[in-house]
Amino acid sequence: MNASEPIVRATDLRRRFGEGDTAVDALDGVSVELPKGHFTAVMGPSGSGKSTLLHILAGLDQPTSGSVIVDGTEIAGLDDKHLTELRRDKVGFVFQFYNLLPVLSAEENIRLPLSIAGRKPDEQLMKQLVDAVNLGDRLSHRPSELSGGQQQRVAIARALVSKPAVVFADEPTGNLDSTSSEEVLTLLRRAVDDFGQTVVMVTHDANAAAIADRVLVLVDGKIVKDAAAGSAEQVYDLLKVETTA
Amino acid sequence: MTSIALRNLGARKLRTFLTSLAVVLGVMMVAGTYVLTDTIDQSFGKIFAEGNRGIDAVITSKEAVETDDGQEPSFDESVLARVRGTDGVAKAEGGIFDPTVSILDKDGEPIGGNGAPTFGASAVPEPFDALKYVEGGKPSSADQVVIDKQTAGRGDYSVGDRIKVVGKESAKEYELAGIATLGDVDSFGGASIAVFTFDEARRVTRKQGKLDQISIAAAEGVSPAELKRRLSQALPKSVEVETGTENTASQKEDVGEFIGFLKTALLIFAGVALFVAAFLIFNTFSITVAQRTREFAMLRTLGANRRQLVVSVVIEALVIGLIASVLGLFAGIGFAPAINALFQALEVDLPNEGTVIAARTIVVALVIGVGLTVLASLIPALRITRVPPVAGLREGAVLETPRSGRRRTAIATVLTGLGVVAMLLGVFGVLSPGEAWVGVGAGAIFIGVALLSPRLVRPMASLVGRPVERFRGVAGRLARENAVRNPGRTASTAAALMIGLALVSFVAIFAAGLRGSIDAAFDKTIQGDLIVTNKDGFSDISLEVTKAIEGIDGVAVASPGRFTQANVAGEKGSYVTLVDPETVTEVQTLDWEEGDDSLLSGLGPRDAVADEKWAEKEKLEVGDTFKTGVSNGETLTYTVRGTFVDRADFNGDFVASDANAAAYGEPNSVQQVLVGLEEGASAGAVQKEIDRLAGSAFPTIEVRSQQEFKDFIGEEINQLLGVVYALLALAVIVSLFGIVNTLALSIHERTRELGLLRAVGMSRRQVRRVIRWESVITAAIGAVLGSVLGVIFAVIMSRPLADEGFVLSIPVGTLIVLLLLALIAGVLAAIGPARRASRLDVLDALAYE
Repeated sequence: MNASEPIVRATDLRRRFGEGDTAVDALDGVSVELPKGHFTAVMGPSGSGKSTLLHILAGLDQPTSGSVIVDGTEIAGLDDKHLTELRRDKVGFVFQFYNLLPVLSAEENIRLPLSIAGRKPDEQLMKQLVDAVNLGDRLSHRPSELSGGQQQRVAIARALVSKPAVVFADEPTGNLDSTSSEEVLTLLRRAVDDFGQTVVMVTHDANAAAIADRVLVLVDGKIVKDAAAGSAEQVYDLLKVETTA
Repeated sequence: MTSIALRNLGARKLRTFLTSLAVVLGVMMVAGTYVLTDTIDQSFGKIFAEGNRGIDAVITSKEAVETDDGQEPSFDESVLARVRGTDGVAKAEGGIFDPTVSILDKDGEPIGGNGAPTFGASAVPEPFDALKYVEGGKPSSADQVVIDKQTAGRGDYSVGDRIKVVGKESAKEYELAGIATLGDVDSFGGASIAVFTFDEARRVTRKQGKLDQISIAAAEGVSPAELKRRLSQALPKSVEVETGTENTASQKEDVGEFIGFLKTALLIFAGVALFVAAFLIFNTFSITVAQRTREFAMLRTLGANRRQLVVSVVIEALVIGLIASVLGLFAGIGFAPAINALFQALEVDLPNEGTVIAARTIVVALVIGVGLTVLASLIPALRITRVPPVAGLREGAVLETPRSGRRRTAIATVLTGLGVVAMLLGVFGVLSPGEAWVGVGAGAIFIGVALLSPRLVRPMASLVGRPVERFRGVAGRLARENAVRNPGRTASTAAALMIGLALVSFVAIFAAGLRGSIDAAFDKTIQGDLIVTNKDGFSDISLEVTKAIEGIDGVAVASPGRFTQANVAGEKGSYVTLVDPETVTEVQTLDWEEGDDSLLSGLGPRDAVADEKWAEKEKLEVGDTFKTGVSNGETLTYTVRGTFVDRADFNGDFVASDANAAAYGEPNSVQQVLVGLEEGASAGAVQKEIDRLAGSAFPTIEVRSQQEFKDFIGEEINQLLGVVYALLALAVIVSLFGIVNTLALSIHERTRELGLLRAVGMSRRQVRRVIRWESVITAAIGAVLGSVLGVIFAVIMSRPLADEGFVLSIPVGTLIVLLLLALIAGVLAAIGPARRASRLDVLDALAYE
């Protein structure tokens, strides 16, 4: 693939919820390109449309209009079967509430996407991921026996295991204490630096966003800022401008 | 709190619906049974009352021996003169009413089936004639006959047609002179009737000089009771005098016994369905109470007390029970004809005109439906009391299922053990009534095993699930894990199916054993090449058949056999086989314990050989004598000459010479003719000749080779088996609702997980697969437990029969088929829930709390 070609390209995305008078435009003409191997943070106040953007880019939701190309595939208007395949093969997802399957062990949870796809795992990658997750002997434990941070690290490894084109993380630290958050963010950063992944993360937290390469700020369904991340303070500044604008 | 309960029902419509449906089906069966049997009862009542209209007193023969087929002996016609000579009698007419004729259809086949007889009757003069001639009129010559409307319809006959009727004489063609109903009742209780002139009736039934009944009208001013008193004084003790009303009542009593048996049998099946429904209700309430833990805790923080919460759940149960019972009641009214159709499939034709809905039916249906639902919801409801208010504040708090594992296991083991003991004691008649104790024992075993089964879920899920996992990968793995996730829930869901399957496989095993035993006994004792019986296998055929067969080329011997009943030592209804000593040993032997075939061939009129079991029971040994009351009122004294083992109860309690056939009321009819062929004769050719006889003179007979006869018996058993299966199907269906319900509730609980699976790329198909295999694993657990219990039941129930040669054989093929059917049922039960799960919107599911 051409290195200059973005891995995700969204053009004039609109997403409307409801109808008539009560209709809300969660996304109101968003265009964005995400180059390969970048870590992008998406920020914005509640209801700004950042989660909606993430869901649409990840193939979990469909735009009302506009186009999304993920790794060369137009996903707007795809049927459920193809969307499922896209999620399975090209997208990794990390949720705020980890969403591990309680009946499977940590390791089985990591392997889950491959099991679903019926593919053999890349054992070398698997080994790297297991090292990165750093669970030690708890790898065979069930999620209920793991801490929140540990569960989220497992969830990240799960998102990486199928070598997706892009990993989306929706408030991955939203439910964690600061130490655990730090570990999780470090792992996401390593995904980009060591594994060459493309990561898109929605977050409220400027400290979390600071770990990214680039910050997008959404307000009322529009991108109002698109800048390099820099330090946490710089991210704060981006947000301040946005709120006064 | 009541309104919360009601809102809950409204909000969870599917669950409410499925739970109700289980109760509806159970109540439907109860109500249907009552409606059907009440209707039959009333119809018979109408028929008998109609038959006795205008009759003040009736003379019949005293029934010296109560027989299963209800045949009554005739009495001498001299009685009529004495009746007419009695003061107070205005009019008296004698009649013939014999249940052993057959009306043939246009193809020469007898009309009407098993159970309901065809009566050959004499036309009764006014004012006693209860018949209403809807077409034509009374028979006026020996070549005319009148038949009932139902039979005319079945045979497509109209007045003026030629019609063949056969009794104890060979078949004869008549002109159809009329078509009759009984007053306003179309049906004769499923029976058919052929009405001849008096003399012709006597000829057809071979009752020259005899009467079956005398109808009497009292003179003015003489009450029926007074008339009866006078007649009783004037007439011999061998006849029975009843007023018309008494006669109606005693006839009703006769059929009442049969209807009662029918009712009990149907109610047992209804009970099974209700028992299964109780499991389902219990399970549903357990799950929903657990799922609503937070809601209950929240209500507690708002100040609701424990009692209010429990009451709210019980009210939910009450409402479900009430709605379901009412629906069940209505469904039952509609279901009654369906049960009747089932009997008709067995060619048991019972009258049911109109629909009788007794107050008792309504009360029982409501009480059972509501009571069962509330009772089954009580334990789950009481669990709410353990919800601490703080649980409402915790994320995902779910009520812990009680973990008093050891105590539970102990109770379950004891219960199962007691169940087995109760069954054994019931089976061996230590406790009586045995049947009830067997039922109680089986119920206790079911509950015990259901309580034990949570422990079995994990190993069994492994057993069933591992191959699925190998074959289905992650979907199989998740299915297995989900199945064992809440062992109690899976166990009680599977237990419901287990009950149905245990009973089905028990019946299958028992029937297979029965067939095997009969075949074995048959091979051992029957040597005749051909067996001639009535088409139905048991009804009378004319003695003339024997002579006709003897005349066929290639036949060495045709030996008649009669199966009848007598009273031994005051005990009613001992079964007696009457054989022809001259020929019997050519075609039949016995499994001798003491004695040999020479006893049979030398059987004198006062000699008997006894079934050793019966002899033991009656404390008879070889050389002892016993008194036997027979049909004509005489008492015969027999000497026991030998004893035999009767494997399949072919020969009843004792075998005697047919020299006394007349005393047993069977002078001209037999039930079986065993045919031995001459050396080198072709069985096929002889069979063809006998078939020719069946085509002309004796249309009711059927000739079968040994193999054909065994197949015929097997077929009869299978037919009965089919009906039992059909009745048990209801319980199985209810248990499938249970699986659907549990799956639906579990899916509801796991919405978020399903969303996750979809988010990480699981296709809808794969999601369906997860649910389907969970269902199959649950069904498999139920099926395996059920089959095992079925085998155990069969072993227990056949214990007392083992001495009589009952050979238990496990029909492995049938059990495997049952197992597969259960698995398929599991697949079917999963269709709805799986579809629902796969249709979940991914984002909604993930956002779901």
